[in-house]
Amino acid sequence: MPDLNAIKAEAKRLLAEGVVEVVVAFKPGDTPLHPQPAFFTNVDEVENLVYDGLCQNNLATFLTRLPKTKKVGMLVRGCENRSVNALVVEKQKSRENLYLVGIPCEGIIDWRKIVERAGEAVLAVNENNYVVEIETRDEHFTFSKNELLHDSCLRCVHPTPLSADILIGEALPEGNLAIARKAVEEFEAQTIEDKYAWFQKEAERCIRCYACREACPMCYCTECFVDHIEPRWTESGATPAGMQGWHIVRAFHQTARCTDCGACERACPMDIKMTYLTEKLNHDMINKYNFEAGLDTQTLPPFATVTLDDKNRFMA
Amino acid sequence: MQSEARSPYTPIPMHVLHAYYESTDRSLKTLELSFDHAADSQAFFQVFNPGQFCLLSVAGKGESALGVASAAWEGDFVRFTAQNVGSVTSALHALKAGDALGMRGPMGNGFPLDDWKSKNLVIIGGGCAFSTLYALTKHVHHEDHRGDYGKLTLVYGTRTSGLCMYKHDIAAWHEDEDMEIHQAIDVPEDNWLHHVGYVPDVVRQVAPSPVNAVAVVCGPPIMTKFTLPALVDLGFSPENIFTSLEKRMKCGIGKCGRCNLGPKYICKDGPVFSLAELNALPADL
Amino acid sequence: MNLILEKQALPGLLQSWREQYDVYVPQKMERFSHFMPLTEESVLVTGEPHNTRIPPKALFLPMTETLVKFTRFGGYEDAQQNVQPRVVFGIRPCDAQAIQLLDTSFIQEGYTDPLWLERREKTITIGLGCHQPCHNGFCTTVGYGPFNKSDLDALLTDLGDTYLVETLSEAGEACFQDLSPASDDIYEHALEIQQIAHDQMPVAFETENLKEKLEQNFNSKFWEEVSQSCLGCGVCTFLCPTCFCFDIVDETQRKQRVRNWDTCMFRTYSLEASGHNPRPSRVERTRQRLSHKFVYWLDQVNQIGCTGCGRCVRYCPVGIDIRAMLRQAQTLPFEVSHAV
Repeated sequence: MPDLNAIKAEAKRLLAEGVVEVVVAFKPGDTPLHPQPAFFTNVDEVENLVYDGLCQNNLATFLTRLPKTKKVGMLVRGCENRSVNALVVEKQKSRENLYLVGIPCEGIIDWRKIVERAGEAVLAVNENNYVVEIETRDEHFTFSKNELLHDSCLRCVHPTPLSADILIGEALPEGNLAIARKAVEEFEAQTIEDKYAWFQKEAERCIRCYACREACPMCYCTECFVDHIEPRWTESGATPAGMQGWHIVRAFHQTARCTDCGACERACPMDIKMTYLTEKLNHDMINKYNFEAGLDTQTLPPFATVTLDDKNRFMA
Repeated sequence: MQSEARSPYTPIPMHVLHAYYESTDRSLKTLELSFDHAADSQAFFQVFNPGQFCLLSVAGKGESALGVASAAWEGDFVRFTAQNVGSVTSALHALKAGDALGMRGPMGNGFPLDDWKSKNLVIIGGGCAFSTLYALTKHVHHEDHRGDYGKLTLVYGTRTSGLCMYKHDIAAWHEDEDMEIHQAIDVPEDNWLHHVGYVPDVVRQVAPSPVNAVAVVCGPPIMTKFTLPALVDLGFSPENIFTSLEKRMKCGIGKCGRCNLGPKYICKDGPVFSLAELNALPADL
Repeated sequence: MNLILEKQALPGLLQSWREQYDVYVPQKMERFSHFMPLTEESVLVTGEPHNTRIPPKALFLPMTETLVKFTRFGGYEDAQQNVQPRVVFGIRPCDAQAIQLLDTSFIQEGYTDPLWLERREKTITIGLGCHQPCHNGFCTTVGYGPFNKSDLDALLTDLGDTYLVETLSEAGEACFQDLSPASDDIYEHALEIQQIAHDQMPVAFETENLKEKLEQNFNSKFWEEVSQSCLGCGVCTFLCPTCFCFDIVDETQRKQRVRNWDTCMFRTYSLEASGHNPRPSRVERTRQRLSHKFVYWLDQVNQIGCTGCGRCVRYCPVGIDIRAMLRQAQTLPFEVSHAV
């Protein structure tokens, strides 16, 4: 785990020296399982900053909610850094107004995996050297961190922020794309009927709360397609057509923009798996266009690019 | 109120009797609707009170809340004036005589006419929100009811003269000795014989007497916001100032939650509130 | 009546109800439990220390349901629902309490929702008390409790190998008519278990003067502070057993007007056609959510509109905790209001 004191010191420096107006990071939640995103605007508040494996949100989702010209400091892990880059590419924020405090990421713990194993009466969680110690009302548990990691993190390729202004701690080795691809390949290998059955089973638990949308840094449209009235793009309710429509279009809108941070899945109150769709699209983009979202702050996603030598005409 | 036979969510079948533009810019259209079934008409007029509203329904488009702009004595029909602002109102604008549509209502409390008896009425309206005040004026001005109330003063402002609604009656009321009417437009126009200025300023200028009087204000939020303090300054007590509120509505019967103002639902407990009542509610408009 | 039910006899009893009723019991779905119709193969989940993920309000106010059907030639007709008499077994006291709260909104003289009413009238609710209270719930704090009996036809208390069944209505009695009565000793023992559970629940926040504090600080910075990290999703409200807001939408292709769960936390909820939004940001929306539960419900029916089920605490994607918010609200300044 990165040194919390070093993070705090950097956050304090940024505020004290006026490098940024706000530092976006985490503060303790009411229970150890749920640290809360936090916005620090003065040095004294920073004492309250926390960072651990349970910080499950992609903080970049707050970037488009802050005034564009505000100077923002932000704690970023590998995926968050890429989300920030993708937002810069889409001109949602200029890089000059950002200061990224990078954290090489050991992976985000899926709190549901803790509750499954230890119950919800968790009083304390301590992480050390990839071992997680959990204190509950009645018991003590020890797990390897890998056992508790969120599925997206198990296939992470870029755990270290690629373009942070400062890195707190040592860079971690890149992940293995072949391993990352395994889940997608397994999904692809199914018959079309099985794939649809899988999709149906996941999508139809949806309650249309849009936590996945709100947790996603790339879902920043002022008016989401589901809220559009004329024309209406999908059924409004929790019907099979409505739920499937939402999940398909949501995934497609993420094409070459998704960094597989998994924030959508972690936000879902119904435990719906949805990264298998976006991951499939991510790997298609790698295979067909050699493109991964957010590796830099200049390259437009293939589907946002139009050039004169495009093979097909964009529109008839 | 709900009828026994039909779900409160199911519209009453109606059809368009007359449809005509109310303003020269064609942004306002008046629909006069009649009932397909006599029983529905009876049930409607048994409870209808000026100040109430209905939800007009176009199948496939949705519903839109509109104040009733007719008085019961006018006949077996209900009048509405719709401003073309959204998908439902634009569908309403497309309707012509003979077309079918749905209606739910009457909804809300309406004006507390019984409490106002023997009092002088100061009726202040702006823009298309004047519709329910038109219904109120028509009701009060009718010979059956006129004796129940004191002096009748009307202040009505629109942005331009072309946006003035119900021109025929307004013109007649200017000639009527029984009524004091002050009409205003926002900016000067050629041949305009009445006030020029915003409604709150006209109210201050006209300075209706607060003695034994109630004032009722319906207009765009910005007009209401500045007219209420003008009336307070003129000496009207908050208990004698009334306004009709608007918020996004869906169900119209206090269930869907959308139009709450603190613990009150505008659709069910309103839309008419006294300023005294409003002062006790959170400013969540 | 106080009766004794052997745990091993429960599955058979539930199956026997199917002759007369549709029976809903919590069953496993993914990593959580969910009220689903009982079949011969159903596996019960009664041992879970906490609630179903989706509150049983969904059995009375479905996420989506048809209100009106469009007929040819521009007409309308009532949607018919086909609700069979049913028993909901294993409903937790917090969720049953929530149904009672919702009744006060949906069943009102002159303003009754016929779809809600029909489902309510046709449903028998059998509660399962919480002898091991859940960790994030706070039912006792808001004036209810782990063995609250409100709105139940019978309440079960887990005694190990048996349940104590307290029947609370004729319908409840009929469901358990073949059971033998519980002895006074057993009943006393059950009461003790109930009391211990009740006492185990910590006070999550003080409710005294909370209403006044929230009311008087309507324009406080407090709302900005507590809503800062809110994502604006519908998790807290959709999973809330007392939240009931809905949207009405025309599904043109299906020729139906439907209602869907909606939430004051969505931007589009209060957005008007003119573009004006009385609650333009998460600050006002958070204020509405909390004020509804801890101010407006009290004004309307003199009850707190939160039953302390803990779902919003557990599943908020950014860890916003209503208990912490209200503890912070308790530090706000206020003046004692004098009766008018």
